[in-house]
Amino acid sequence: MILRPLLTLGALLFLVGCHRTLDQGSGVTIETDILPRPVRTGPASVSLKIMDDHKKPLAGARVELEGDMSHPGMAPVFGEAKEAAPGYYRGSLRFTMAGDWVVLLHLTLADGRVLERQVPVNGVGSH
Amino acid sequence: MVSVRTKMSSPPDKPETFDLLRVPGIGNLLRWRHARTLLQIPLLIGAVAMIAHGLLGPSLAPKNLATTLSWVHFRGVLVLVLLLAGNFFCLACPFMLVRQTVRRFLRPRLNWPRKLRNKWLSAGLFVAILFAYELFDLWASPWWTAWLIVGYFAAILAVDSIFKRASFCKFVCPIGQFNFIASLLSPLEVMVRNHDVCDGCRTKDCIRDRRAAGPGTGLVVIQRGCELALFQPLKIGNMDCTFCLDCVQACPHDNVGILGRLPASELTTDPRRSGIGFFSRRKDLAAVAIMFSFGALLNAFGMVSPVYALEAWIGRWLHTEREAPVLGLIFGLFLIVLPAVLIGLAAWLARAAAGTRQALVPMTVRYAYGLVPLGFGTWLAHYGFHFLTGLYTIVPVTQSAVASLGWPLLGEPRWRLTGLSIYVVQPLELGFLILGLAGSLLVVHSLSEEDSPAHPIRAFVPWAAVCVALCAAAVWLMLQPMEMRGTFGAA
Repeated sequence: MILRPLLTLGALLFLVGCHRTLDQGSGVTIETDILPRPVRTGPASVSLKIMDDHKKPLAGARVELEGDMSHPGMAPVFGEAKEAAPGYYRGSLRFTMAGDWVVLLHLTLADGRVLERQVPVNGVGSH
Repeated sequence: MVSVRTKMSSPPDKPETFDLLRVPGIGNLLRWRHARTLLQIPLLIGAVAMIAHGLLGPSLAPKNLATTLSWVHFRGVLVLVLLLAGNFFCLACPFMLVRQTVRRFLRPRLNWPRKLRNKWLSAGLFVAILFAYELFDLWASPWWTAWLIVGYFAAILAVDSIFKRASFCKFVCPIGQFNFIASLLSPLEVMVRNHDVCDGCRTKDCIRDRRAAGPGTGLVVIQRGCELALFQPLKIGNMDCTFCLDCVQACPHDNVGILGRLPASELTTDPRRSGIGFFSRRKDLAAVAIMFSFGALLNAFGMVSPVYALEAWIGRWLHTEREAPVLGLIFGLFLIVLPAVLIGLAAWLARAAAGTRQALVPMTVRYAYGLVPLGFGTWLAHYGFHFLTGLYTIVPVTQSAVASLGWPLLGEPRWRLTGLSIYVVQPLELGFLILGLAGSLLVVHSLSEEDSPAHPIRAFVPWAAVCVALCAAAVWLMLQPMEMRGTFGAA
């Protein structure tokens, strides 16, 4: 008698989980490049090229950088990328520990739209 | 029907000692009939929040309640509470609250199978969880962490809906076994205050349940006794005790307390324990103790850079890029080969040096418990590190989770909050390890004195060497630069 509601609850959770979607963006393409390669602990430069649907550079954006480790509870690192040329942004982050990182790009475009992108940086090595 | 004897060899009464149940406030709370439910409700709410956020929230582990609470805060609080007090997590276990609710509608009818009335299954599950943690990078996946919690609820409901008493806690639960073993080092124990009172007790409600006339002709249980078959007058130590306090509620003489004791002292003696038997005859229990002690090293080894070099080397040797066989080999090495070699060698040397005639296997089983303090020190150092260095991360994650519901009541998430400095935490890690080593040395020395009264030092030295070697390995691990990586291929 109690099994049916439990199974229904389980199925619902499974379905809800299966329909989770990733952030697909909104007509904005971002190309990132993180140097040095391979990435090691210490400072790393983060370059971004932000374009619209027609590959036209998007100028005037505010770009905040956040680096998080894949393990919870680790200290995140922060930075900001400044516009070096229209649509081109450059900043730096300091990877404090070896391992898998995810760089979060917090973007505020010139038209006020707010976007977020995740860039996995796996296997940051130690010196 | 439970056969009850109190005259077997009751432990001696303790002189006037600390009793948590007699502390004003907290003692009153714990003696309250609904104290367990009160403590379980917040943990159940937390578990539901973790499941929901794990399945529906951010996929990045440091931003999610499921991963942050499970792998940073829960584990850290758990080991610290076990060190400073006792097995209070099992008391507040949210899974049991759900089980109790379900049992109102679904009464189990079967007894747990006789062949499974041991710890082999739970030892295997304990290793399976450690293995899955590494293989699926559970720390990095809110999704899988949430499903692990859901799976735990499902497993408890499945087992305890079919089998009577606390079958899941005693014979299945891997977290429970971890807590039982670690609580051997706890300073508090649920025990009888005065054995004379028990000798005069005619009802033995603490094990038989308290019954009263029901609406029909039969008797109904109005307060259950110990579901884990621990008869209070003969119960010794914390093994298998979930601190559920059913015995406290059931005792008609208010003769059960939560008393203070010397941590690890129960490891230095080997009396017959109610519901357990003799430690020295329980190979299954010794196996759990070994998994607990060597698993601590293995789990810590998984987060430093040398593991990736080892994985890569084994991968080349096996001509495989799949992580499961490589990890399987490392687990076999750490949890079977290494313990067998170290403990077997120590037992053989100790026997030869002291000139005793004790058989190797019983000797190995007896001394395996001596490694528990060191194992616990290693778990404390590892989990304490994550907990203390990530102490405040729960604040922004909670702020973010609440804000994602559309109620930014807690303000903007303060992602820069982390925890204590590594320079503060590292001495604590070393302190836990040294404390663990001291505990292990004391236990094996005490066992050596008892087993080889003529040459206690000769019997002690090989075991001490194993303890020192394991402690040195743990110190080396803790001093390695951390490398949290889930990408075997990148190695």
